[in-house]
Amino acid sequence: MTSLVQSLIDAISAGAVYALAALGIGLVFGIMRLANFAHGEIITAAAYTLIFLWPISWPLALVGSVVVAVSVALAMNYAVFAWLRSASPATLLIASFGVSIVLQRVYDALFGTNVRAAPVGATLNQSLQLGPIRISALAIVTIVLAAILLILVQLFLTRTSIGLQVKAASADPRMARILGIRSGFVIAVTFAISGVLAAAVAFALTTQSGAVDPTFGVQATLFGLVGAVMGGLGKLSGSVVGGFSVGFVLSLLTSWLPPWINDFRTALVYVVVIIVLVFAPNGLLAGRSSKERT
Amino acid sequence: MNERTAPHQRWRGLLSSPVLTDLWTLVVPLGAVYLFTALGSAVSASARVDLGYALVNLVIVVALWTFMGNSGVLSFGHVAFVAVGAWSMSLLTIPAVMKANLLSGLFPALQDAKAAPALALLVGALMGGLVALVSALVLMRLHGLEAGIATFALLQVVVQVLTNWDKVGPKSGQSMVGIPQPFDLQTVMHIALIVIILAWLYQRSSSARMLRASRDNVVAAPASGINVFRHRVIAFSLSGAFAGVAGALWAQTNRVVQASQFNLDLTFSTIAMLVIGGMLSLWGAVVGTIVISVLNHVLGLLESGLDVGALTVSLPGGSRLITLGVVVILVLLLRPGGITNGKEAVWPFRRERRYLSPAALGAPPISSPTVERRGVSTIR
Repeated sequence: MTSLVQSLIDAISAGAVYALAALGIGLVFGIMRLANFAHGEIITAAAYTLIFLWPISWPLALVGSVVVAVSVALAMNYAVFAWLRSASPATLLIASFGVSIVLQRVYDALFGTNVRAAPVGATLNQSLQLGPIRISALAIVTIVLAAILLILVQLFLTRTSIGLQVKAASADPRMARILGIRSGFVIAVTFAISGVLAAAVAFALTTQSGAVDPTFGVQATLFGLVGAVMGGLGKLSGSVVGGFSVGFVLSLLTSWLPPWINDFRTALVYVVVIIVLVFAPNGLLAGRSSKERT
Repeated sequence: MNERTAPHQRWRGLLSSPVLTDLWTLVVPLGAVYLFTALGSAVSASARVDLGYALVNLVIVVALWTFMGNSGVLSFGHVAFVAVGAWSMSLLTIPAVMKANLLSGLFPALQDAKAAPALALLVGALMGGLVALVSALVLMRLHGLEAGIATFALLQVVVQVLTNWDKVGPKSGQSMVGIPQPFDLQTVMHIALIVIILAWLYQRSSSARMLRASRDNVVAAPASGINVFRHRVIAFSLSGAFAGVAGALWAQTNRVVQASQFNLDLTFSTIAMLVIGGMLSLWGAVVGTIVISVLNHVLGLLESGLDVGALTVSLPGGSRLITLGVVVILVLLLRPGGITNGKEAVWPFRRERRYLSPAALGAPPISSPTVERRGVSTIR
């Protein structure tokens, strides 16, 4: 019973991380049909910042990681994606794949293939004793952080003028432009928010592992992307729930499956992805709104 | 009715016969690959090593083109079939003693299986084609982004299974060694040429024509009675078989095979070659592979340090993929149709068009903004 509660909380915190990754990807996708493979490299950039700055000063590391993540996100927007706005989603996907590979090699050249380690957020790696149950403090912090960010993004999208413009532009880009919304600015804002979310993911993951390598962000991005696609990239709530489910199920599988199946758990997740895509190409939570199937 | 055509016009007519124009689209890529191999193997020993991998990449890119070029659907999954081909080749050609020692967990049938290299290559093609066929039956209803993600998921599934299932391969995460190298560079080139010929023949089949119709207009083609799903399955299976051939060649070129080699880097570099050359033409697949392979070789030389006069130029490792990534992004930005702009090699003596142009008839030029015919932008 107690171990059930513990593994549930772990699963919720894993789900929260992937939900944040999926939200970052879903926001950008919503506004410009770009399924951004390179989101992982934004996460990696933030993670390197955390690792390098944490020993100096932790508030500096936190602020620095957000600044770096937002800068990398904006840089890839202005250097590449802003020029491809009228391209098809498939072209954008290939381009973001390219950006991702280039950045990975750049990190490789700058920081080496080996992991860089630092005790980021070491105080969070203790566990709290609540009666008979031990819960890792990091899990709680991750869940709370994710909840706060989700609420903030929601408030931003529904209560601020720029947020409403973002929503309008992702609902109907052409109409939004006709109504005078500056699409370039709105897209840049969206990239910046996805950068902030990536920094949060980086914080949770580096605190967990304490080490970064050039492909650090790939795993979270893949599962976030996969979750977002399964939930429905067309709808933000779909992306978030999808990302959360992938993290939640993966974590539960890790703790409950017999070891020999465990080797195949990633394969199982991807099989589920294929099944979902075939039967519900718009995602499970996209509702009945038909997306053009071309 | 008219007076007889002048002799030079008859000569022109012969030169612009459709047979020659068509054959030219095959002869040029074949000749280019032949020249590339001949020149490359004359340069240096290190060039010959790179050339071996370049020819394998060429087969992968032609396989990718067979599906993506004709159907306009994105696939990130072809490296899975390459892996299947490499597995077939390795399991059938590793000497029995080594196999018994290194791959002790195999199914007994696989443990005893053994085949001549040429046969193993065909088995690789067959297995690649079969896995592609089975996955196509599931995946080929998807387009665009969904197809991209789903084929990517397929790659992950296949690689995970090959990594961890020790009944069909090495123990988790280990590699297969001791693969013989039965084909020399010439033979590999001939196999690549055969794959190009097969891909070209397929391109001319009615199935491929219908598939291209669906690529250019996914609404009108089914409305004209074309079963898009069926032709996509055919293209995907065939390109899976080509990828299986590439995998078998890869195994005997590299001689060490491990599931982690069939990763995103290989997927990206082959797709990049296709995009750079021009995704919609066989000629583009060949051009892209040759250009990038030459570039890679030069960068490889620079990485190991090259003496230019008094100073030594050397690049940091990983510069190949950085360059490739930058080039592919530049191509997508500046010339989305790739180097060839999606066109096949053009017969130089083409007959001028005889029909009256709309301008000559006093009509405004016809433009169809809805039909986007520029390279990757038709990929759905």
